[in-house]
Amino acid sequence: MSLAFSEEARARFEKTLARYPNREAAILPTLHLAQREFGYLSDEAIQYVADLLGFTPAYIEGVATFYTMYNRKPVGKYHLQICRNLSCSLMGAEHLIEHVAKRLGVKPGETTADGRFTLSTVECLGSCGTAPVMQVNDDYYESLSEESIEGLLDRLL
Amino acid sequence: MELVLTTHFGNDRYRHVDTYVRLGGYAALRKAISMPKEEIVEEVKKANLRGRGGAGFPAGVKWGFLPKDLSRPRILVINADEGEPGTFKDRLIMSRGPHLMIEGIVITCYALTTHTCYIYIRGEFVREADIVQEAIDEAYAEGYLGRNILGSGFDLDVTIHLGAGAYICGEETSLINSLEGKRGWPRVKPPFPASVGVFGQPTIVNNVETIADIPWIVTHGGEKFASLGVEKDGGTRLICVSGPVKKPGVYELPVGTSLHSIIYEHAGGLRDGKTLKAVIPGGSSTPVLRANEIDVPFDFESLQKIGTMAGSGGVIVIPEGTCMVRSLSVLMNFYAHESCGQCTPCREGCGWLARILRRIEDGEGREEDVELILGVCDNMLGRTICPLADAAVMPAQSFIWKFREEFDQHIQEAKCPYGNRF
Amino acid sequence: MPNFTINGVAVTVPQGTTILEAAKTVGIEIPHYCYHPKLSIAGNCRMCLVEVEKFPKLQIACNTVVTEGMVVKSNTEKVRQAVTGVLEFLLIHHPIDCPICDQAGECGLQVYYMKYGLHKSRHALEDKVHKKKVQDIGGQIILDAERCILCSRCIRFLQEVTHTSELEFFQRADHSEISIFPGKPLNNNYTGNLADICPVGALTSKDFRFRCRVWLLRGAKSICPGCANGCNVEAHFKGDILYRFQPRQNDEVNQTWMCDPGRLEYKKANEARLLTPVVREGGSPQATSWEAVLSAVAFRLWETVEKNGPESVAVIASPQFSNEELYLTRKLADEVLRTPNLGFSPRTLGNEVSDDFLIKPDKNPNTRGARLLGISEEKFEDIVGKIAGGKVKALLVFGNSIADFFEGETELLLANVPFVVQVGTNEGAVSRAAHAVLPSASFVEQGGTFTNHAGRVQRFWMGFPPRGKARNGIEIISGLANRLGAGWKFAGESSVFRAIAQSEGPFAGMSYESLGESGQVAGGTE
Repeated sequence: MSLAFSEEARARFEKTLARYPNREAAILPTLHLAQREFGYLSDEAIQYVADLLGFTPAYIEGVATFYTMYNRKPVGKYHLQICRNLSCSLMGAEHLIEHVAKRLGVKPGETTADGRFTLSTVECLGSCGTAPVMQVNDDYYESLSEESIEGLLDRLL
Repeated sequence: MELVLTTHFGNDRYRHVDTYVRLGGYAALRKAISMPKEEIVEEVKKANLRGRGGAGFPAGVKWGFLPKDLSRPRILVINADEGEPGTFKDRLIMSRGPHLMIEGIVITCYALTTHTCYIYIRGEFVREADIVQEAIDEAYAEGYLGRNILGSGFDLDVTIHLGAGAYICGEETSLINSLEGKRGWPRVKPPFPASVGVFGQPTIVNNVETIADIPWIVTHGGEKFASLGVEKDGGTRLICVSGPVKKPGVYELPVGTSLHSIIYEHAGGLRDGKTLKAVIPGGSSTPVLRANEIDVPFDFESLQKIGTMAGSGGVIVIPEGTCMVRSLSVLMNFYAHESCGQCTPCREGCGWLARILRRIEDGEGREEDVELILGVCDNMLGRTICPLADAAVMPAQSFIWKFREEFDQHIQEAKCPYGNRF
Repeated sequence: MPNFTINGVAVTVPQGTTILEAAKTVGIEIPHYCYHPKLSIAGNCRMCLVEVEKFPKLQIACNTVVTEGMVVKSNTEKVRQAVTGVLEFLLIHHPIDCPICDQAGECGLQVYYMKYGLHKSRHALEDKVHKKKVQDIGGQIILDAERCILCSRCIRFLQEVTHTSELEFFQRADHSEISIFPGKPLNNNYTGNLADICPVGALTSKDFRFRCRVWLLRGAKSICPGCANGCNVEAHFKGDILYRFQPRQNDEVNQTWMCDPGRLEYKKANEARLLTPVVREGGSPQATSWEAVLSAVAFRLWETVEKNGPESVAVIASPQFSNEELYLTRKLADEVLRTPNLGFSPRTLGNEVSDDFLIKPDKNPNTRGARLLGISEEKFEDIVGKIAGGKVKALLVFGNSIADFFEGETELLLANVPFVVQVGTNEGAVSRAAHAVLPSASFVEQGGTFTNHAGRVQRFWMGFPPRGKARNGIEIISGLANRLGAGWKFAGESSVFRAIAQSEGPFAGMSYESLGESGQVAGGTE
């Protein structure tokens, strides 16, 4: 079964195209859209975006793999991304990462067996004043402690 | 104390156009469209407004690089790819006062005869982008954007472009490539963006905070803005304080406020009885200062005089008890991860530095490693297309120059004296 | 025309010239990897850093345009350190597998390491980033990602020249690598150029792989005989075996590129060659001497003309032969045999493959030359008709096939002629049917000129003497003509070309000197 955008995504794609003077500029937004539609960017998804925009799949792959937010592998329902940069580290991010890893039974970069969580470490999220910080899908969770992250995981489980 | 930006940031409704206008918003725009365009640029020059993104280049001078003839349409790009570790002020502006930025955009575009503006927001800031989009929609609805703005005959369209996770896209030519749908590789210069930028058009790239300062400058005049700061560096700055201080956060302070008072007065000093060991003053790419070096005015020139930089205003406070090797190792992992991979010295150098530091921290350092780091730094500094290599070298060199004994100790004792942890 | 100095040497160059190109004009080499004169500027390798007065930082010579009064230094300690530093970076992850690398001997890393590096490795062996080796990425190319220095020449070539973008950079930082998208191999007719432009051993030629060390090869300037475009090539050989073609720069013809089918044309000079004169008497072929075969052929031709008149003799020329050979062929037919039966038979196989770049539908290197020398293809159709009608009693065939007739067709056609002579290089239907075979030198075994589709007359040079007992075509044709009383005194191809320039309008005023390496356009063809 080949991939295709839903009608709604298709409409958003057309709107995106209209915002730019050429199709190339629509690559990043279209990849974002494809990732929302398909969960992650499989080879098929890359090929689909390439065909939509009129580029070779290699060209699209080159763009997609440059940026860290495009997932070329499946991720869990909740993508836990904990900042490991200096301000967060000074405020206990390392401990937090270890804690979450232990709690979920996965190492950073891995997904839980039930597909619910993927744990990643990321670089600065631009929220250093409320370190340590974790992004879960589109949302930031700030000034985290072991207790607050426990509470969050309980809610998401 | 005079505030340029944050007066109403405590007001949750300030991000909406009605409240913004009620509190005096868009009056600067009304004033601007009655002014000759050159006069607006002149006021910005007089304001001594220096780019708040990190490089500190005078904004008015930058605008002057646009070609004089108007035959090719010009483009304004707002750099909202806030990613310099320790910096989180543009996020605040976008979420608390997006109309300040939008008003700044309209005035700037009017002054520069530009009808297209892209706001490049880092991809992680999904919520902030939603807020900015809502504000843009409001501005269109109220006639501050779109056709014939406020009856002036001036047209302007503003589009948000979301990044997708790449620190380097904060560098303006990398940002331009990313906006064009390419890998975020910085461009070789010349040509410079002012002549060949986005989609081949003359382009100005300004930071969010820089552009948000514009309405105030138009309202109060450039000289007034300049007088808030120091010579050659006017206005206030949003200073970000992170690390274990009592009140971390963003503080709007006159340029030239002392770094000591930023940490001890505004941010309340260190928490939990900790004492100060070191400070990175302007975001992770700026050279580190020892605790005894912080009696310095926070402005571009004063910090430059003591061998560091004001950068993007990201003050990272490092307390005693912190391993400087581990801290630098974290930073080098960052640069190794974020190097775009285009030029040789940065692509290979950043990764190499990160690996040497990791082994020193892990107790596997070699006698020659500290000199090796400095040697690798020499081969990176000033030899690349963009400043990312320099941005990695500056913390690396300064950490070693100022805390050499810790590196030596790690190697001699073959272990981290701080227990390999933060 | 700005004036500037480099390393103290004063130079004047045209407006817009870069330091790197300007330095070349006075013999100063500035090391570089990513720069390629026919591709856009990438500026990423950082090898060409030079000191430019008034600039605090070193500048890249490939993207810095010379301005009036500029003072450039490429020989200072600061520059040397920078170049050495870049080399060290490029080598930290390199597998240093020169002993099994085809690029060895023409590798940019080796060359510059010997010149600027010679450092001991300061990088820990166990820290090397490993990447995929020996990947068949399609076309004529094998990719070894570990050897790649990420200069992006290949990517720019596929974006800017072929517009196919099969290769791209994936990932970033020191995990960056070039690759194809899974299942989408190289898909264009110019892949071989990737091995040429790759400055290291990352992209190597499948065809050339492990066949010969490059330092054992010698080169001859030549012209690809694969089609009418006449791409300028360097023919690389060892002894009397050709190993490869590499394109040679000629901005009027092929810039610095050549096509994939053309790149394999060299094989014809190696395989199934006719290496000794043969006569067939009573059915079985017999090797013989040149003296014997030339005398025998001359006698039969004379005898046929005497008995049946000159119209009973026909000559099928070949547009794969040089202008010099074609000219003498025409002279032989016109002035010696005095037969009107002279035409050329084209090679048409593969003519469906063509594009608007280098690949021409005409798969003969010298069709234009044959026409300019008054030999026609239309006449060839006539001759075939006469042969089929039994009117031709002696036939001289140049080349290895008659048009692209199948073996059976050729056999059937030639069975109508009592005496068939072949002048050619390779075995085939014609050699099997011929009563006399006069083995001629391949394009790399003699010099000469071809006239390409656009009328450009281009020289090719002899790399090595004819293989076996094969002979230069000029000697063969002259040998026949003189045995028939012509009294020609041509001494080599240059003397023939002088005669052409004197008597053939389109070639008037040309000489080997004036043609030089890049050729001249024949009169009336523009």
